[in-house]
Amino acid sequence: MGGLAHYLEAEGIPTTQISLIREHTEFIRPPRALWVPFELGRPLGAPDNPELQRRILLSALELLEAPAGPVLVDFPDEKIESVTDGLHEPEGWACPVSFALVPGDETDIEKMVSAFRREVTELRPWYDIGLERRGRTAVGNFDAISASELFIGYLLGRTLPASDTNLPFPVALRLASQDLKAFYFEAVIARPGATAPGSNAFNRWFWQETAVGKILKAVKERCLGESDKALRLAGTLLLVPMSQA
Amino acid sequence: MARLDQLKEPQRSHIAKLACPSFETTAWVSGPPLGRRRVSIISTAGLHRRGDRPFEGMTGDYRVIPGDIKAGDLVITHVSTNFDRTGFQQDWNIMFPLDRLRELAAEGIIGSVADYHYSFMGAADPALMEPAARNLAALLKGDRVDAALLIPV
Repeated sequence: MGGLAHYLEAEGIPTTQISLIREHTEFIRPPRALWVPFELGRPLGAPDNPELQRRILLSALELLEAPAGPVLVDFPDEKIESVTDGLHEPEGWACPVSFALVPGDETDIEKMVSAFRREVTELRPWYDIGLERRGRTAVGNFDAISASELFIGYLLGRTLPASDTNLPFPVALRLASQDLKAFYFEAVIARPGATAPGSNAFNRWFWQETAVGKILKAVKERCLGESDKALRLAGTLLLVPMSQA
Repeated sequence: MARLDQLKEPQRSHIAKLACPSFETTAWVSGPPLGRRRVSIISTAGLHRRGDRPFEGMTGDYRVIPGDIKAGDLVITHVSTNFDRTGFQQDWNIMFPLDRLRELAAEGIIGSVADYHYSFMGAADPALMEPAARNLAALLKGDRVDAALLIPV
């Protein structure tokens, strides 16, 4: 991020930026930066909190009026801990969906696959209702059915399944995994009585308590054994977060 | 949270080891008061219009996001799976605060919101972004932007 600020400013465009990793910004020394204490993925602090987002934005924009630089300022916020910090989020979030997971034997791919299909079927109406209600989805390239069939085809088949997109297969796997995660999240928060989990609670549930988590971990393992370099890279880094590996 | 010592392993070491570009000097361009600035968002979250080309790998190119885009038409194809996306799934402003910028412009706190915004995919080597960023400056000038708001992920 800081590199971009240097390049643009050198071309005559005034820049200001938000910084998430303070140490990087200290090293790169962009002209103007506001460090914020939020987790990666949340530079504006918290969803559906326009008041906080506005204060962060104004603090970053006001740096444009600093007389000289480089300037690196910390976002002052007395209420931050209750807002969004993943380290402080309540432990208690329980997903209202309780799936009957395949007991014990995680190597039985076919049982995992049917549990996965049941999950998707069960969540689908809630995803649709959520989409209708909010008029928006973050699912980008793969609806839940095509995403799940891509993974199932890969796990059960001997060859790479054909994807109906023009994307290289390793890219399709990565995008489909993110789309499935978005599908699960949007479906779960649309269920009656559901509250939105924090990112840690959601990750814990998605990766440790669902069939889709097991499926994606199995896909990761299979990718690691491939001769194709891009598939191995997907397996190493791009499918399962480091915190869940 | 995102001071390095507050991240958990193995993500902490991974991020600590990322190569950062170093610069001997920092350019500094001044401009009018905030109330007369025209602001464009430059994100590194790998954002783009639904239907635009996904970010496929570690390239330094960017996508163009028109200023009249709706929340439902903005998607992420950043390569990393290690940052939170559930915030964005609830409210796009957490990564792309266009609604907030529009409010600030309506109130006269900033001059205006640019016609175009841009997104890179921040896991790419900054050196690969440099040529695209230098070309981008000309586009920003064409849009009369005098405040680039850079937002990481």
